[in-house]
Amino acid sequence: MAIEMNNEKTTDKVEQRVVYESGNEMAAYAAHQINYHIMGYFPISPSTEVAQFLDLMKTSGQHDIVLIPADGEHGSAGVCYGASSAGGRVFNATSANGYLYMLEQMPVQSGTRFPMVLNLVCRSVSGPLDIHGDHSDLYYALNTGWPILMCRDPQAVYDMNIIALKLAEDPEVRLPVMVAQDGYFTSHQKRRVMTMKDRSDVLNFVGEKAPEGYPDTLDRNHPITVGPYMNEPDYINNCYQQSEAMYRAEGVYERIQKEYAELTGREYPVLDLYRMEDAEVAVFLMNSSSEIVKDVVDQLREKGIKAGSIAPNIIRPFPQKQIVEALKNVKAITVGDRADSYGAHGGNMVNEIKAALFTYGNTTTKVISRIYGLGGKDFYAEDGHHFFQLAIEAVEKDKVEVPFDYHGHTPGDPDKAPKRVLEPMKYEDLNTGLIKVTEDEEAGKLKVRIPPLRQLTKKPKRIASGHGACPGCGIFSGLELFFKGIEGDIVALFHTGCAMVVTTGYPYSAHKATYIHNLFQNGAATLSGVVEMFWERKRRGELDHLGLQDDFTFVMITGDGGMDIGMGPAIGAALRNHKMIILEYDNEGYMNTGAQLSYSTPLGHRTSTSNVGKHQGGKLFHHKDTAQIMAATNIPYVFTGSEAYPQDLVKKAAKAQWYAQNEGLVYGKILITCPLNWLSEEQEGATIIDAAVGSCFFPLYEIERGITTITFDPEAKNKRIPLSDWLKTMGKTKHMTKPEYESAYKSFEDEVDRRWQKLKAKHENPYL
Amino acid sequence: MMIWEKGDKWMNSLPKVNELGFFEIRLESIGGLGANLAGKMLAEAGVVGAGFNGVSFSSYGSEKKGSPVKAHIRFCDINANIRDTTPVERPHVVGVFHEALAKTINVISGLYEDSIVLVNSNKSPDQLKENFNMLGGTIAVIDATGISLEEKNRVNMAMLGGLFRLCDFLDPQIMRDVIEKSLGKKYPQAVAPAIRTFDRGYNEVQFKTFELSEGEEMPAFTRSDEPVLGYETQPMGGVITNPGNSILKDLSISRAGMLPHFDENTCIHCASCDNVCPDFCFVWDEQQDKKGRPQMFLQGIDYQYCKGCLKCVTACPTEALSSHREEEGYAEEHRVPHVFNLAK
Repeated sequence: MAIEMNNEKTTDKVEQRVVYESGNEMAAYAAHQINYHIMGYFPISPSTEVAQFLDLMKTSGQHDIVLIPADGEHGSAGVCYGASSAGGRVFNATSANGYLYMLEQMPVQSGTRFPMVLNLVCRSVSGPLDIHGDHSDLYYALNTGWPILMCRDPQAVYDMNIIALKLAEDPEVRLPVMVAQDGYFTSHQKRRVMTMKDRSDVLNFVGEKAPEGYPDTLDRNHPITVGPYMNEPDYINNCYQQSEAMYRAEGVYERIQKEYAELTGREYPVLDLYRMEDAEVAVFLMNSSSEIVKDVVDQLREKGIKAGSIAPNIIRPFPQKQIVEALKNVKAITVGDRADSYGAHGGNMVNEIKAALFTYGNTTTKVISRIYGLGGKDFYAEDGHHFFQLAIEAVEKDKVEVPFDYHGHTPGDPDKAPKRVLEPMKYEDLNTGLIKVTEDEEAGKLKVRIPPLRQLTKKPKRIASGHGACPGCGIFSGLELFFKGIEGDIVALFHTGCAMVVTTGYPYSAHKATYIHNLFQNGAATLSGVVEMFWERKRRGELDHLGLQDDFTFVMITGDGGMDIGMGPAIGAALRNHKMIILEYDNEGYMNTGAQLSYSTPLGHRTSTSNVGKHQGGKLFHHKDTAQIMAATNIPYVFTGSEAYPQDLVKKAAKAQWYAQNEGLVYGKILITCPLNWLSEEQEGATIIDAAVGSCFFPLYEIERGITTITFDPEAKNKRIPLSDWLKTMGKTKHMTKPEYESAYKSFEDEVDRRWQKLKAKHENPYL
Repeated sequence: MMIWEKGDKWMNSLPKVNELGFFEIRLESIGGLGANLAGKMLAEAGVVGAGFNGVSFSSYGSEKKGSPVKAHIRFCDINANIRDTTPVERPHVVGVFHEALAKTINVISGLYEDSIVLVNSNKSPDQLKENFNMLGGTIAVIDATGISLEEKNRVNMAMLGGLFRLCDFLDPQIMRDVIEKSLGKKYPQAVAPAIRTFDRGYNEVQFKTFELSEGEEMPAFTRSDEPVLGYETQPMGGVITNPGNSILKDLSISRAGMLPHFDENTCIHCASCDNVCPDFCFVWDEQQDKKGRPQMFLQGIDYQYCKGCLKCVTACPTEALSSHREEEGYAEEHRVPHVFNLAK
């Protein structure tokens, strides 16, 4: 990253260089210059790139930050909390639901007074899921007790990241600080950015090391108790301390930003006021759109309209007094909030501005509130003109006709309202009677008879053509092959991931059967709720009118990423033994967010957060054995399968259905290819999986009522191939067969063989 | 990582700019053809190499490989403020990496009458003008796919060559240096073909300008963020009440050049293709076998959904499925459409 352009002569005191980079790159760039100790992170768009860039820089030895891929944002925030209590410098980046998932940790971080820096790459919060930029996540941060710095462009992202750390560690403050930039608008748009050329200048500014003399859980000579249980007379006093620190942060910020301006020539006063000196009408916006509106101000000024714009560089603490001062002579202002505070008659910003005016006795400035740009809807100059027009009208009429409204919402054409396209699938088509499952009570196992797969092409596909997956995606062939073994009706729940995203891009859905998507991690819990509601409503006779011919088969579909962040709920559902199937499609990474490592990524494999270079050779630890973890919950049936062995998978699906209808929870894992991120040939999908099975990396087996059976033994069939034969088929692992990665290869091979031998022992002994 | 060093700059001024001082470029492609990377390189050549100020970005969403993507580039004077983050709606130059996109997307939206549209195609400018329904402007044609196949290189290199030709304020030598620097160390053998592909793109562009007819006006652009549904028509809670409607989509634009052919005579109806197809393109029908029993028979491929991954060709145990370069009209002619149980 960081393309050096030239060293420009400026009036500043440090040597600077210009780079052409995006907001995410600049957050990573600042972090690498600071050389934080720890970053605990978890992938979520659009902030994930920050960890990716840092990982990439690490492969070439540009920093020493320990990058810890957590099991979810709650975990990443926990990693950061622990690390910050242990005295070093800590960094994180997240967005939207990732932020909400870690929300619980935020007030603890601030309330127990451990400084760190978190970049919030602002994005809309579900649901429904929308990955684009608005401020709905940011507004949840307002009450967490963190100072919040705002970044209108990639330059500000760089500068604020440096200012933020100094603010967080200031003795007067001692609070974690959030740096907020707009997802995609800032995070993914490249601009020219001035940076301090020498890391030493950055470190001179923020301090070489974190200041000492504060609670440190690694200081054995000063043992401390962090996070006590506190009762009512004391808690309020802790809050008061925090409140005081927060208000002090404004003055400290002002001081730091002035010091920074002296160093770099770039100023970030509490308010970014544009042509406000004599403005009569104004617009208040935050971050990227506040820049666009400056062009609008210029255009209005040319027409003789005294227009101006206000954008805050810091919103916690809220710059109440400065805003009132800026509005002293303004007759009307339109405040655009890029997130609603439903039912509050305005977004958070407009209500805080109104409170500020009231507090300081300004009763004349008219305030118009508009919610705009939700879900990343673009803010064009014409939208800015509209906002000014509202203010101008309020002045002319001496009245705000519509104090609160949305802007940019559209009613839709009644002729284009959704109409059903397909008739529901017929039960008799789905229930072919071609698959026979019978219980062999003596053996304690099921017997399955399936027809030649040709006959099962008669069964309708449960997912419709027209989904947007990449060419050659292994998910859908894998899922439908599995569904070929399932008779009758299903209700499906998909975790967030590729399969979910590409099948339900609104207003389209490729799911012919009923489908639910809730969150990334909560599918097993959600589906348990559906399952139990089914049985209870059935028991109460409330489903009688539907004339159901059979019970549903409830199927949860998740990627391997969903089984990382959703491991807890999955184990919970398994222990409760709900009658449902969890089917994991494992493509060895978080492919939906841009191929970050998951715990299922094997050792040495290249992903966007386990890059390959001089100082790092792909992923650093072994792949997760999810099937064995789930087997340890003692559920009735666990299996692995793949499209390379279709009969095997269809049989297992049939068994899975029987167990999920009669006994309880089933877990199955299918390994599938992701040609895009495995850097493999699209047409070779099934062949590559075949090699994964043949090398014993992905053994095909089942665990039925606790008894393990290997269903395809490559050794016994004399078909076992070396692991390298599989690795050679993928760009992401080609390096592993080279001599310089020999030790990693050996370690991977040993682990694969150890697990295989263990599995064989289980196969041979019913008590293992 | 690319590091530009200080050097002579190809100082030039932008040939034309909009009211905010920008020269604007939009690239239209499908994921996987390298338009995003080409946009990035073009922008860097302008900003880093030629000393303009600029901004560049791509469309992001749930789009995957094979889905439509756009890249946006703005150049302006080094001292101009860049505040706009909206997509390029009124481009001076459009680069169409994938001609078939025009089937489903208005790739020429918002053109000025003196805008230039560079198309990866082996058709004539006149044909393309008609296909795109373009009223006026310049069409530049480059057979980037043909060149890339001949040179065993990437389509985006040839397109980048064409784009440099169109943006004559950029020195093509900058790009050659970038190729040299970015590939030279790791893949020295890849440098020459990449430069050759770039140069052929640069040199082989054919131009034709079409004057706007008397009394005609270029069509106004429509904002790219206007939805089909709205708050009065959208079912509550984002629930989709007509699921399975993805069958209405045409995914043939996802094919990047190859598709499978089906030969009924050699087909043994084993369903190996059906087991591996990610897009459910195989159309089956129940008929009587030789003994008069009902049996499933493969009828053909519904090319509307085929993305050309060719997994089926690999899976086919006979010669019934084979891979071919897609010829215009073949898919339409040989498509065996799925029979859906459409709602009445």
